[in-house]
Amino acid sequence: MQERLSFYKKRESAVHRLNPLSKLTLALGIVFVSFLSPYYWTPHLLILFAVIPLSLLGKVLREYINAMLRLILPTAGFLFIMQALFQPLEGVELFRFGFLHPTQESVLFAFANATRIVVMVSSFTIFLLTTHPNELMTDLTRRGLPGQFAYVIISTLQIIPQMQAKAQTIIAAQRSRGLDTESTFFKRAGSLIPLVGPLVFGSLVEVEERAIAIEARGFTSTRVKTSLNSIPDTNKDKLIRWSLIVIIIVTLASRIWLS
Amino acid sequence: MKIEIRDLEFSYPAGIQALRGITLTIGSGEQVAIVGQNGAGKTTLVRHFNGLLQPTSGEIQIGGWDTRKYSVAKLASRIGYVFQNPDEQLFSRDVKTEVAFGPKNLGYPNEQVEILVHEALEMTELSDKTEMNPYDLSPTWRKMVAIASIISMDTPIVIFDEPTTGQDAANIARIANVIKVLRERGKTLITITHDIDFCAENFERVIAMSQGKILLDGKANEVLGQEDRLATTYVDPPQLTRLATRLELNDTIIREDMFLTELHKKLTRTL
Repeated sequence: MQERLSFYKKRESAVHRLNPLSKLTLALGIVFVSFLSPYYWTPHLLILFAVIPLSLLGKVLREYINAMLRLILPTAGFLFIMQALFQPLEGVELFRFGFLHPTQESVLFAFANATRIVVMVSSFTIFLLTTHPNELMTDLTRRGLPGQFAYVIISTLQIIPQMQAKAQTIIAAQRSRGLDTESTFFKRAGSLIPLVGPLVFGSLVEVEERAIAIEARGFTSTRVKTSLNSIPDTNKDKLIRWSLIVIIIVTLASRIWLS
Repeated sequence: MKIEIRDLEFSYPAGIQALRGITLTIGSGEQVAIVGQNGAGKTTLVRHFNGLLQPTSGEIQIGGWDTRKYSVAKLASRIGYVFQNPDEQLFSRDVKTEVAFGPKNLGYPNEQVEILVHEALEMTELSDKTEMNPYDLSPTWRKMVAIASIISMDTPIVIFDEPTTGQDAANIARIANVIKVLRERGKTLITITHDIDFCAENFERVIAMSQGKILLDGKANEVLGQEDRLATTYVDPPQLTRLATRLELNDTIIREDMFLTELHKKLTRTL
């Protein structure tokens, strides 16, 4: 059974070794540049020269391609078709089919937009594939992120797989009592309450117990907290972060003055 | 109703082999306790009985029904299964509705549902709590509601998964009483338990499992006397049994009355 809802793949790579904040800045940087750059081909070039090399460097190319084929490309493809067909941009008409009359401009616009979405989702996919959520939260909390916020993120990642496991047990228990979960739609709809009831009650009780348990360990204490795991933050990390900030500012400036 | 298991093997999708060839017959009206360390395959085994799990290979017959050919809902008319945690099955506003849920699913006529619910509530000493919300009851009483909700289905076979875990002495006595009444009615009872005293006091036959296989199977006093072999699956014989062994009493002792008789015999012999 999956311990935690997370995309993280434990590997030994240069990307994995980076400080989580550097990786987050990198992911955000790629997104900013692809959305802000005044040049049409920037997002496409980013995929070729930033996203794919990063996934190679982080040894997660296979997982990335998997996510690409299953999730990212279908979504972006759908977006492309919708925008290309329905975006009312003036220009050279390509063809006319009923009320649809896509223009060259609308197709180009849709293509750039869809690519930006691909870049955004890709860069975060690689970020999540190479960063353990605990590491990210520990690092961000150390830098001043409120503990409550980190708790919400981490506990959500933990609770979902736990609830899945719990739901499986509840389904098994109710089926053992003759509950029909496999036949007609109406019978199945009627069987929802016996399944959802225990899940909700149980989860509420668990949330309370969890809150008591962490409070018993001084969760809301205002003292400076130490962490068991130290997360390295090297000069290389700082260099990467500052360069990215410079790149983002330059892109923003070029956006303002060049277009 | 008879349970026949032949060459049962089961692997979880993740690849862990939980059962490694189990052949077993449980006769009609037998009371069987299954013991063994965590991960020995006890729960995996009994979840095959009512079709919650399907064998990777081998087969199980429940009174002649092959579990691969019948749905869980159908098998529920022959096997009642009390899950370990009552909170994973209780959902009704009041105890009575909860207990009536199973027999209604099985399609008994209304009058009979009434009778079955009444009996089950009486047996579990819940008769004065029928209108209460199960979640307002203490965990020990919630356990009794869960037991009642299965007994009311009046199945020929009843499975209890760790019925005594987390229960106080008074409630363990209540559960033991339920088992006694069900035995008198000729039900086949199967209990998974880590409570070896409870096992010794209430069950005639004991099966010890270890690493997906049956380690020992026999009369309670025969199985519980084998201290060394039980140790391999992290089961200690009941304290009384160990005491009797150290005192070198005849026979393997598993119950208080036996202990006292044997001790008396030995003392009169030596004095």
